Amino acid sequence: MEFDFAQQIGFRALSLLIFLPAIGAVVMLLFLRGRPSAYKTGALVTSLATFALSLYMLTAFKTDTAAYQFQENFVWVQSFGINYHLGVDGISMLMVLLTTFLSVIAIIGSWNYVKDRELGFFISLLLLETGMLGVFASMDLFLFYVFWEIQLIPMYFIIGIWGGARRIYAAVKFFLYTFAGSVIMLVAILAIVWWYNKSSGTMTFDILTLQKAGFPSSIQMWGFIAFFVAFAIKVPMFPVHTWLPDAHVEAPTAGSVILAGVLLKMGVYGMIRFCVGFFPEATIKAVPFVMLLSVIAIIYGAAVSLVQPDMKKLVAYSSVSHMGFVTAGLFAFNQQGVEGSVLQMVNHGILTGALFQMVGFFYERTHTREIKDYGGMARPLPVAAAFFSLFVLGSLGLPGLNGFIGEFLILLGVFQYAKVAAVFASIGIILGAAYLLWMYQRTMFQELTNKKWLELKDLNVREIFTLVPLAAVALFIGLYPKPFLNMLHAPTQNILAQVEPYMAQKQSLIHLASSFFGGF
Amino acid sequence: MKTSDLLTILPEIILALAACAILLLEPFLKKDKTANIAIALTALIASGVAALGLGGETRSSFSNMVVLNDYAIFFAVLFAAAGALTVLMTPRYLEAYERHMGEFYALLLFAVVGMDLMAASRDLIAFYVGLELMAVSSYLLAGFLRYQIKSNEAALKYLVTGTFASAITLYGVSLVYGLTGATNYQQVGQALMASGNTTGVGLATALVLVGTGFKISAAPFHMWTPDVYEGAPTPVTAFFSVGPKAAALSAILVIFVTVFQASAHTWSVIFIALSLVTMLVGNLFALVQKNIKRMLAYSSIAHVGYLLAGLGALGALDQGFLPGQAILLYLAAYTFMNLGAFAVLVYLKTQDSVHFDYSLSDMAGLARRSPWAAILMSLFMFSLTGIPGTAGFIGKFYLFNSIVRADLTWLAVIAVVFSAVSAFYYLRVIVYMFFREPEVEFQPREGINGSMAAALALCSLAVVVIGLVPASAWTAAQNAWVNLFG
Repeated sequence: MEFDFAQQIGFRALSLLIFLPAIGAVVMLLFLRGRPSAYKTGALVTSLATFALSLYMLTAFKTDTAAYQFQENFVWVQSFGINYHLGVDGISMLMVLLTTFLSVIAIIGSWNYVKDRELGFFISLLLLETGMLGVFASMDLFLFYVFWEIQLIPMYFIIGIWGGARRIYAAVKFFLYTFAGSVIMLVAILAIVWWYNKSSGTMTFDILTLQKAGFPSSIQMWGFIAFFVAFAIKVPMFPVHTWLPDAHVEAPTAGSVILAGVLLKMGVYGMIRFCVGFFPEATIKAVPFVMLLSVIAIIYGAAVSLVQPDMKKLVAYSSVSHMGFVTAGLFAFNQQGVEGSVLQMVNHGILTGALFQMVGFFYERTHTREIKDYGGMARPLPVAAAFFSLFVLGSLGLPGLNGFIGEFLILLGVFQYAKVAAVFASIGIILGAAYLLWMYQRTMFQELTNKKWLELKDLNVREIFTLVPLAAVALFIGLYPKPFLNMLHAPTQNILAQVEPYMAQKQSLIHLASSFFGGF
Repeated sequence: MKTSDLLTILPEIILALAACAILLLEPFLKKDKTANIAIALTALIASGVAALGLGGETRSSFSNMVVLNDYAIFFAVLFAAAGALTVLMTPRYLEAYERHMGEFYALLLFAVVGMDLMAASRDLIAFYVGLELMAVSSYLLAGFLRYQIKSNEAALKYLVTGTFASAITLYGVSLVYGLTGATNYQQVGQALMASGNTTGVGLATALVLVGTGFKISAAPFHMWTPDVYEGAPTPVTAFFSVGPKAAALSAILVIFVTVFQASAHTWSVIFIALSLVTMLVGNLFALVQKNIKRMLAYSSIAHVGYLLAGLGALGALDQGFLPGQAILLYLAAYTFMNLGAFAVLVYLKTQDSVHFDYSLSDMAGLARRSPWAAILMSLFMFSLTGIPGTAGFIGKFYLFNSIVRADLTWLAVIAVVFSAVSAFYYLRVIVYMFFREPEVEFQPREGINGSMAAALALCSLAVVVIGLVPASAWTAAQNAWVNLFG
């Protein structure tokens, strides 16, 4: 095996990467209990080490191939063909980097945020990191499902224990939505594995094997629906997005950063890996439908953001809109669309993570998130206002910042698929500029209505330290996206090759879709 | 009778002798019951070890009335484990009620003897004797706190409905005998196969099904369950929720695949219908319970619903062992996670027997009062929900897999939808423990005692081990099922 971990990096890098945070959590629980500065440092060191390891893996990563790298494979449950099989391609490698990066940011950002049961909070963050990394690195369906569900638990506790006033409602809603979608997916997993067993005589949960299975149309349709619903809830796509505003508003800052930054991406990642990989025919057939839902999400999310009185809720709804772009780009199924989609996942993780982080910093100072309570904040908090402007501009797609690259590529891709969809998506961009700038204007500029705010302290060194890396990445991707896109070329070709045989069906459906819109 | 006959029932003999020893020793013991506890534990472990030691070959005795094969051994070990865990969690609980008497352990051992017999019997008479031995011991155990009005209520309800159910079962058994002139499973099965489907066979099947349906509390025969579970002493409830239920299922499995094998497709449909009703009733009523014991009672009904779906798949698949194996694995997983959940409740009751009343609000803020109890309870709740990494997920995974393979995907979809519903009431316990603050002041009494700690440790260990390394548990279930007919 060419891309075995042994040849490529010499040690079980992926396993180490996944379980390093969990090991750190156990060490903190056993040895550092009762000493806040010690276990906080422990959490930071663990997350930094994990991030460093992921960067080290990047140096050994080959960008010229779509093959899965750093593979590890050994038998877990022999009689059922379940293996502990890990590996990453360019897409999952980017997601892994995003996860390890944002985990560091979230841990530094919540250094003084949590007052109650701090140890549990940092342990939850680290266990969450393990779960997320496992999702992105699994090459076995069973293993994937295990990680997919396990990461729910730390997030459930993060929202439920350390969240805001309606945290219990939000935590339970978050859990039940995702869980309900996943269990249906579990039956679909069992059904496709059974079908493959019947037709080939071997029982396997290996993702690559199942991707080559060539499921018949009826299985593809039901399988696609079951997988797609589970992932659409996670993204979240309209109309199953209703858990998101609650979860985001009630979650502590670090929870929101991770939720928006990584967890939502797991949904799209699942679509790329499984909907496209297992059910290419059904996926192509569903393109107009998904495109329609994406465009609705873009415009609906933006329109709702426009009228939010609460900053955090505004950012939350803007996520619905931005993730609409991501799904639209993916389902355009062309080079620009798919690459833009994956890149925009990274961009959204960076920018929305940063926006949530900043809202958290403001909230720690003022204890309010209502936009009307703010105004003129640029005077007492000039540094914060500067950072905030950078992230707001990035989020609305200003050229030179990363949001622009992703949205531009996506629009290019969507335009090739259906002009009408691109037109409607552009309306979302205009609305996005409107609600973000309007919010910025009402909070940072205008008269300083509340004189109390004059005494507020500007960002301290730690807070600046959390924002600088985010800003640096935002600028870097904005100015020089090539290294990131290079990682995506080969996997994108692979995705397009998977759907290629069915593209003809998509063509005919475009007309159907455009006639649906009234003959544009 | 030969010596080898006795070897076949050695696990049962050990338990019965130990129970008698406990009863003889009891008058000589003062307050300290350590000796009797030790006898009970030793006997349970010895019976499990003896069963394992006698494995490898199929022993059949008393004119083929009782066998000791991998199937019987699987259940003998499982029941011994359930009994031992119950013994471990009991002492301080009974002390709190000042009813710590050796009879409790003797009754428990007799119940386990009955359960072992049910799994090992290959004859309708032997099955019925086992059933009654288990049932009568259970009635007494339910009413063990005889100065508590709820315990009395539980015993009476259990006695009346249980006797009723036994009588119905017996009537079905007598019909079978009348139709075939035999009581041996194999002979009856062949005779029924030859006679074809007649009204008499249908009636007999229905009666046996209704009678045993009572025992496993399948809806609509579940009405007694919540009251009995709520009123019985909590360690006894823990035992009821796993032991008699698994025993009745072990017998149902054997009887239906041997005695009623001719009508497999008919009873498959009946079990599927029962499964749908049971899942619905169990999950919906569990949603509205404020008392955790009642909630767990309904949750146990829900789990029986999943198991019945497995039985439906078993009947639908003429060949193929998967559903039977999956049911056995599910029972093992369910035993440990449910016993664990009850063990936490018993522990909390012994901590503050005055205030703690098993209501959800009593759990509020538990994570602050005793974090380890809260963490363990969460583990068991997650396992009951079926979250990966726990035994509950493995049980559901194999069970639903077997249902899908019986081409009953729609049934699997309904079952997982219900397990999504169940997440709500299991998570609510966690919500109270971790997300809410205490509503009343609790005075924690003293630390955990050794035996309770052991019970909790063993349950959680089993839940995690089966959850992460399911291969060995699966192999055991597989061997047990394959050798069912041997």
